[in-house]
Amino acid sequence: MTARARWWAALAGAGLTVLIAGTCGLLLTRHGFPGLRPAPVARTAVAPAFPAPTAPIVAAAQTAQPAPVPTPATLTIPEIDVNSQLSTLGLSAQGTIQVPSTASAAGWYTRSPRPGAVGPAIILGHIDSYQGPGVFFRLPVLRPGDPIYIRRTDGSTVEFRVTAVQSYLKDHFPTQAVYGPTPDAELRLITCGGAFDSATGHYLSNIVVYATETS
Amino acid sequence: MKHLRNVRRAALLLAVSVLLLAASAVAAAAATAGSGTAASGTAWIRLAHLSPNTPAVDVYLYSFGNPDARVVLHHVAYGDVSGYLAVPGGEYSVAMRAAGAAATSPPVLSSSTRVSSGSAYTVLAVGPRPGLRLRIFNDDLTTPTGKALVRVVQASMKDPQVSVSWGGQTIASKLAFASVTSYQAVAPGVRTVAVTAGTGDTQSAVTLNAGSIHTLVVLDGANGLEVTNLEDADGSSQLPAGGAQTGFGGTAPHGPGSPLPWLEVIAVGSVLAVGGGLGLRGSRRRTTPRHARRIRA
Repeated sequence: MTARARWWAALAGAGLTVLIAGTCGLLLTRHGFPGLRPAPVARTAVAPAFPAPTAPIVAAAQTAQPAPVPTPATLTIPEIDVNSQLSTLGLSAQGTIQVPSTASAAGWYTRSPRPGAVGPAIILGHIDSYQGPGVFFRLPVLRPGDPIYIRRTDGSTVEFRVTAVQSYLKDHFPTQAVYGPTPDAELRLITCGGAFDSATGHYLSNIVVYATETS
Repeated sequence: MKHLRNVRRAALLLAVSVLLLAASAVAAAAATAGSGTAASGTAWIRLAHLSPNTPAVDVYLYSFGNPDARVVLHHVAYGDVSGYLAVPGGEYSVAMRAAGAAATSPPVLSSSTRVSSGSAYTVLAVGPRPGLRLRIFNDDLTTPTGKALVRVVQASMKDPQVSVSWGGQTIASKLAFASVTSYQAVAPGVRTVAVTAGTGDTQSAVTLNAGSIHTLVVLDGANGLEVTNLEDADGSSQLPAGGAQTGFGGTAPHGPGSPLPWLEVIAVGSVLAVGGGLGLRGSRRRTTPRHARRIRA
């Protein structure tokens, strides 16, 4: 084989290598990034079971001036390994709830009822940061009946049970159902979900976990 | 030119498969987002004894859907209001028996009602003992923006008519015994509730927060009129607008990027390989005897 033939062969070999590398690259990148989360599924609790005949229930009279409920400090959800300090959240200029400043901790909207008081206490947490999972990354996998614990600033703990997990397009967010008054002590955990719009940098849906205080 | 034909065929195959891959990637990119409906399958019922001359009663709540199930509130006396019971929506009946009477004895009073999921109800035993009756009210669960809602139940028999004001705003005018006003929107705050009646006036400070819903019950107390402030429901003092931007996309599924850079790499590789192959073929033709070439081929 002459030097010239060797040169041509090397060129052809290099070309083939580049061709194979390009093809592999193309094939490996055609599927995109599948995302790390299980797809959110809307789950609603079966209506509460009407109590079967049991021991007498004492007529628990509503007290005229209920004792003040302390502010929340931490949130614990054993099912999805959440154990987060709660920051305090106000309203943005747009009238939406401020989001927690870090993706790794959840926050309580201070103009909502305190967890354990009558009404829906509202807690927000990020599903992810730019880099990876946030505090509410696994929120969508919660199921009705899962316990949620809020520890308050006085050291007391109040327990809630999940009643429903819902996904709403942000364009059709049911403000009243999520934030509106309720006759009992409830909790709403809110994060993002659904498709991600890379043009706006936002998810298109919100995941809302509904929970009520266990009595 | 056999080699060249093979290279062409390979290039064609490659192009077709690239096209197919691109098509499937586009198809896979089509995604939809679901939306749910309101979450609650729960209705709420509470019961109150507001008949001043009726002794304590046992209150039974039966479900039509489940005749074996029942809730019993024992020894409910005048002025007692239960907390809300969370029940599935459906048909219910309420029965009252004298406190301690057998559950099988005929009730003094009974009434049935249908309750809807997501709604709250108050069942009031009202009126004087002869003529005592059950009245069922649908309790509001929404407030106008920045307001509180309040209504008045007149359960004082000593004063057949009372007027009630909150911070100077009249919310009940000459309300007759055993009647209930509709909810009224009021500015939130800590104000004085003044009850004006024939036997004397009474005043007390009451807090109504924005977004909360209350019922004020006027009762005969040991020393004149008393006012009980019931919290029917509560929510955010300022209702937020819509959802929240609680994600940055770090774990979001995303589609494949543009295939163009890879196609360019493939094109460059193809040109080099084909060029190299042709050059090699040309140089061999010049340097190798014909028969040797045939054997190698």
